[in-house]
Amino acid sequence: MITDWKSHLISALHLEHTVAAVKEKNVPHHRSSIWYYFGGLALMFFTIQVVTGVMLLFYYQPTAELAHKSIERIMTQVPFGWLIRSVHSWSANALMAMIFIHMFSAFLMKSYRAPRSIMWLTGIILLLLMMGFGFTGYLLPWDQTAYFATKIGTEVPKALPWLGDIISSLIKGAKDVNGTTLTRMFALHVGVLPIISILLVLVHVTLILLLGSGVPPVAKVTGATKYFPDYLLKEVMVWLIGFGLLIAIAVLYPWELGKAYDLANPTEPPAGVHPEWYFMFLFQTLKVIPEWLAIFGFGILLIFWTLVPFLDRKANGGERSPIFTYFGVVAILYLCVMTAWAYIAVGDERAQTPTEKIQQVPKQGGDSAK
Amino acid sequence: MELIRKMPEKNTIKRRGILKGLVAGAAAVVTAPIVYVAARFLGYVSKGDSSNTSATVAFSDLTPDKPSKLIQINDEPIIVVREKDDQIRAFTATCTHLGCTVSYRPQVPDFYCKCHQGRYDVNGVNVPGTRPKLPLTELTVVDKGTDLIIQLTPKAKS
Repeated sequence: MITDWKSHLISALHLEHTVAAVKEKNVPHHRSSIWYYFGGLALMFFTIQVVTGVMLLFYYQPTAELAHKSIERIMTQVPFGWLIRSVHSWSANALMAMIFIHMFSAFLMKSYRAPRSIMWLTGIILLLLMMGFGFTGYLLPWDQTAYFATKIGTEVPKALPWLGDIISSLIKGAKDVNGTTLTRMFALHVGVLPIISILLVLVHVTLILLLGSGVPPVAKVTGATKYFPDYLLKEVMVWLIGFGLLIAIAVLYPWELGKAYDLANPTEPPAGVHPEWYFMFLFQTLKVIPEWLAIFGFGILLIFWTLVPFLDRKANGGERSPIFTYFGVVAILYLCVMTAWAYIAVGDERAQTPTEKIQQVPKQGGDSAK
Repeated sequence: MELIRKMPEKNTIKRRGILKGLVAGAAAVVTAPIVYVAARFLGYVSKGDSSNTSATVAFSDLTPDKPSKLIQINDEPIIVVREKDDQIRAFTATCTHLGCTVSYRPQVPDFYCKCHQGRYDVNGVNVPGTRPKLPLTELTVVDKGTDLIIQLTPKAKS
């Protein structure tokens, strides 16, 4: 009966080829196989983001007057609201970390080689979309740090000649960040970005199932594990560990909510305003070189990074391509150094400016505190 | 295919069985609290502001031309009525049939629910033969001269 139902569904959706590919798929063993797990972990955190995001939508109110209050309500009155929000925020960061690890490991293993070039392209677009989620989601709590970080972020495109002002205004929906910007960020965060991302994730995952895992050009393959069910079971175990760690961190370090920003009573930015950690390399770069140079520089690097599958001919021919490996290592070092430098600068700025402590919403009232 | 690790078949099946059992058990242990947390989170119903139990209405807001006014106390719609003898009365405005909001018809006079043509007399008692099977609740009104305090407590029966 169940077999009948399954075969009907497979045939109705024309999934015969995909199912056969999944059954045939093997995961190769070599000294870098451990990095394969990070793509799956990214997928798990993405799923958590979708589920917790939809849950938060039941209570979040996207207006400048109500956004902060509704999050306070989620955190203090709705049962387990503080946990769902904390999981959503921590999982967003975990997702970005997994994506960076997944991308750099794929780069260094030359997994972008043909026939996986389209996978690499979808992966890069997904990275940009996830960064878009981070940027648009940052403003939604409507606290002071978020307000000023968004103000800075939406000013950056202005350095571009001709189109800069238009792009900046389009993102903000107004001359300056206000309620319109919040609504716009909300629409992007819960409408536009999820639709595109879910479709692209499906494409990305289907491609890995059809094309199999990439093996570094000169890696010594010592064996293979059948993907279904052996490797999948191992992967589920890794997901359970990842999920457990996420819950532990979300419970032990609940995500804070800063002071509300009041448009009617404008305040100065709190000391050390900064974006999320995955934008810190960009934030620091903008401090040391002119904005236009940063935009053009990163633009060219992004194009190069995206087109690597077509530029690295040696790797496509199954040979070592050390120049690309060095480039990847330099990129990792640059991100690490600039991020660390940015955090040191933020720390120094905060130490020099005595400010009020960031308000922590007490976990009281509501059923969850009982 | 040759690269797949060769292992005695019995051992493979045994190991896979244990692994499957472990993963299924762990997934079950994880799923139960997730379902509980999600159910509690999504099942939350706001109790409103329970400290808010009264509202003030100006006597001048109720005129012979417009002798009724809808107000809200703690998410509960209330209808305040000035009768022909200038007596002020307040009733819960939620129709006892299916929760629609009733309106006051001074020309009849009665309380009328436009959603399913339910009727209540001037004392809030449901009219037999119409949909509502229960009366509206009359609330306490305290006369403070130019203002009236409407309280969310039923009026004491005289």
